[in-house]
Amino acid sequence: MLTIDAVSAHRGKLMALSDISLTLDRGKTLAVTGESGAGKSTLIACILGLLKPSGGTITWSGAPVRTCRPALVMQEPRMAFNPALPLLQSVLEPLKARRAMVLPDRLTRLCKGLELSPELLDRKPAEVSIGQAQRAGILRALVAAPPLILFDEPLSALDSVTQKHTARLIAELQAEEGFSSLIVTHDLGYACACSDRIAVLRSGRIEEAGTPGSFVAAPQTEYGKKLRDAAFALGALEAAE
Amino acid sequence: MTPGILGLLLRAIVVVSGAAIATFVLLWNAPGDPAFAIAVARYNTIVPTDVLDQVRAEAGLDAGFWPAFRAWIGPLLVGDFGRSSVTGRAVWPDLVRALGYTAPLALAALMIGLSIAFPLACLAAKKPGGVLDRCAVAIASVGAAIPPYWLGLLLILLFAVQLAWVPAMGARTAAHIILPALTLGLGVAAALTRIIRSGILEARGQGFLPAFTRRGVSRRSIARDHVAPHAAIPVVTVLGLELAFLLEGLLMVEVIFGRPGLGGFLVHAIETRDFPRVQAVVLLTALIFVFVNLAIDIFCRVLDPRIGEPGA
Amino acid sequence: MRSVLALALIFILLAVLGPVLAPYDPAAINIPNRLGPPSADWLLGTDALGRDILSRLLHGARWSLGLAFLISVIGLCIGTVVGLVAAQGGKLADWSVMRTTDTFLAFPELVAAVVIAGLLGAGTGTLILALSVTGWMRYARVVRGIGLALKSRGYVVQAKLAGMSPLVIAHRHYIPAMMPSLIVVWTGMFAHTILGISALGFLGFGVQPPTAEWGTMLLDARIHIRSTPLQMIWPGLAVAISVLAINLCGDALRDSLAARNS
Repeated sequence: MLTIDAVSAHRGKLMALSDISLTLDRGKTLAVTGESGAGKSTLIACILGLLKPSGGTITWSGAPVRTCRPALVMQEPRMAFNPALPLLQSVLEPLKARRAMVLPDRLTRLCKGLELSPELLDRKPAEVSIGQAQRAGILRALVAAPPLILFDEPLSALDSVTQKHTARLIAELQAEEGFSSLIVTHDLGYACACSDRIAVLRSGRIEEAGTPGSFVAAPQTEYGKKLRDAAFALGALEAAE
Repeated sequence: MTPGILGLLLRAIVVVSGAAIATFVLLWNAPGDPAFAIAVARYNTIVPTDVLDQVRAEAGLDAGFWPAFRAWIGPLLVGDFGRSSVTGRAVWPDLVRALGYTAPLALAALMIGLSIAFPLACLAAKKPGGVLDRCAVAIASVGAAIPPYWLGLLLILLFAVQLAWVPAMGARTAAHIILPALTLGLGVAAALTRIIRSGILEARGQGFLPAFTRRGVSRRSIARDHVAPHAAIPVVTVLGLELAFLLEGLLMVEVIFGRPGLGGFLVHAIETRDFPRVQAVVLLTALIFVFVNLAIDIFCRVLDPRIGEPGA
Repeated sequence: MRSVLALALIFILLAVLGPVLAPYDPAAINIPNRLGPPSADWLLGTDALGRDILSRLLHGARWSLGLAFLISVIGLCIGTVVGLVAAQGGKLADWSVMRTTDTFLAFPELVAAVVIAGLLGAGTGTLILALSVTGWMRYARVVRGIGLALKSRGYVVQAKLAGMSPLVIAHRHYIPAMMPSLIVVWTGMFAHTILGISALGFLGFGVQPPTAEWGTMLLDARIHIRSTPLQMIWPGLAVAISVLAINLCGDALRDSLAARNS
C-alpha cells in the first residue's frame, strides 16, 4: 500500500505542500481534489520521485515508490506520446523497459475494453482525437500491470460525453485489474463518484479527508462546505448521491 | 537561469584558469624532449649532453610536474609571466612588443570590416530579396568560404607582386599594415554583413514599428531610435564571436606577412618549446577573449534590460 | 539549391574517385619538368618538384575533405554525448559539463589546435586529435539546449517512469528529435574543419609532406609566388569552392527545416 507520511515540498521558495499524510490500500481508489494551485500536481510529482520532498517519506509497502514502477496517466494526452512515433511504440514502452514479453491476448483484451483498434494504434499522436489519445495513455499505464496508477486530471482535456465514458472505463478496468489508483482532479463530482476515500487540498495542506459519502453529507470544514455547495450549484454532485 | 554580472565575472575567472591549467598540463605531457628543442633554438646547433642537462635545469624541466606548476603559478598570480627558456629575457616586455604589432592590425581589420559590412548590409536590407540583397548575400557567402591565408597570398600577388603598390613582408613602415589589415578586414566584413543584415531585418520585423509609422514618426528617427538598438544586440554579440575569427585570422595573417606580432611569437614559441612564452600567449588570448565577451554581455544587458532578468 | 547540391556532390565524388581519376602519381618527382605552366599534358601545371598539380589536388581532396568529414563526425559524437550528459545528468553534471565547454570555447579553436598540434608533434594523428578536441562544443550546446527542453516533455517523463535507462531514452527520444538541428550544425562544422585542416597544413602543423593536402600544397606554392603564381591559385580555389558548396547546402537545409517547422 501507498503511505505518504508528513510530506512537505517546495517549488522554488514557495511551500507547495506541507505535512501531508495519506494512505492508499491495495485495489482502492483515493481521490485528491482542490482548486488550481492547491498542490495536487506537486503531490503527484513527489509520489513519482520527479520532485524531491523537502520533508517526510513516501513509500509503497515499505519500499521507495519507484520500485513498484507506478504508471501515470497525464492531463494532456497527446503530450504523453512522442509525436514522431506511432502510438503503439509508446504504449509498449513499459514492457520494453521491463524486458517483458508482449502478451497478445492481454493486449487484445485491454484494447477491446478501451475501445482502441490496432489500426488506430499505428497512427501518430497528432492523427488521433484527444479522447483516443487519452485512452491510449490509459492503455500504456495498464499494459505492464503495475500495482499503482496515478491519474493526473484524466478527464480535463476531454469533452463532457467522452469524460463520462472514460471515467466509466477506468472504473471497470480497475475492478478487473485490481490496481490501486490515486486520482487527482479539481472536479469534485468526479472525485466523489470514483473514489473510496477523498482528500481535499488547500494551499498545500489537507483541509479534510474522509469517505465521499460522509464528505457530501457533512463536510467537516467551512472550506469543504463551500466547495460542496459550489459543486451542488453546478449540478455536479448528483451522480455521487 | 541567467547569472548576474558578478556571476559572469566569476565564470570568466573559472574559464581563464581552466584554459591556463589545461595548457600547462598539455605542455608538460607533450612528447619529445623540450630541452633539446630549447637548446637547438638557443645555440643554433646540436649540443652535448651536459649542456642539455644545464638547459633542463635552467628551464625548471628536471623538477617534476608539481614543483614546476608551483614555480609557474606563484609568480603568475602576481602578474609575472616568467622568463623565456630560450633567450632568458623576461616574457612580458616581449609580449607587449608583439602586441604592439598585433593590436593595431586587429583594430584596422575591424575598422575595414565594419566600414564595408555596414553600408553593404544596410543596402541589402533595404529591399530583402531584391537584386542588391542577393548580390550582398552572395558576396558574403563567397567571402566567408575563402581561407584568410589564401586571400592574403592573392592580395600579395596582386598588390605587391604584380602592381607593386604596397610592401608585403615585415612591418618596417606604416604601409606594411595595409595588406594584412585588408586581408583580415575582408574576412570580417563577409561574416558581419550577413549578421548585420539579418539583425536589421529582425528588428524591423518587430511588431511595434508599424505603430510608429502610423503615428507619423519619421523613418529616420524610427531607424535611429528603434531599429538601431534592436539590431545592435545581435551585432554586438556576433562581434564577440567574430573575435575568435579575428584572433585566428591574426595568427595566420601575421605568419603569412611575416609580422613580428603575437601569431609569429606563438608559432616560434611552440617550435622552440619555449614553455613560458607559449603559456603567456595562451593566457593572454584567453583573457582577451573572455573579457571582451564579458564586456559584450554587460553591454547587451544595458541595451536590453530584459536579458538577465528571471523568466526572460 | 539544386546546383549547390550538385556542386557539393561533385566534390564528394572527386574526393572518393580522386585517385582513380588522377592522371599521374601525385608523388612522382620530375625535376626537369618543374614549375611547368598548364599544358595539354599537365592541365594545371607542375609544382617545384615537377609533380602534377591536378593529380595532387585530386589525391588531396581525399585528405582535405575526407579528414574534415571524419573529424566533424568525431566532434558530432563527442558533442552529442557531452550534451546528453549535461541535459540528462542533473544539475551538477550540467554545471560541470557547461563550464568545461565554456573553457574550451574560451579559446579561438584554431589557436588551440595550433598549440595542441604543435606541441604533440605535427602529423595526421595529432591533426585529427587537435581539431576533434577543439570542435565538439557547438554540438554540445545545441544538444544540451534541445535536451533540456525535451526533458520536461510528457513522453520523456513517461519513458523515465517506465524505467527505461537513460541510454535507451537518449536513443529513442532525444537523438531523433535533435537530428535535424545537429545536421545543420554539422554542415557548418564540416566546412569549418576543411578550413582548419588546410590552415594547420599551411602552418606546417598538419598533414606532412609528401602527402598531397590542399593546405600543405599552398605552403609549398607560397615560395614560388613570384615565378609561378598560378600554382597557389588551385589549392586555395579548391578549399574555397568546397567550403562554399557545403555552407550553401547547410543554409538551404536550415531554411527548409525552418519552413517545415513554421
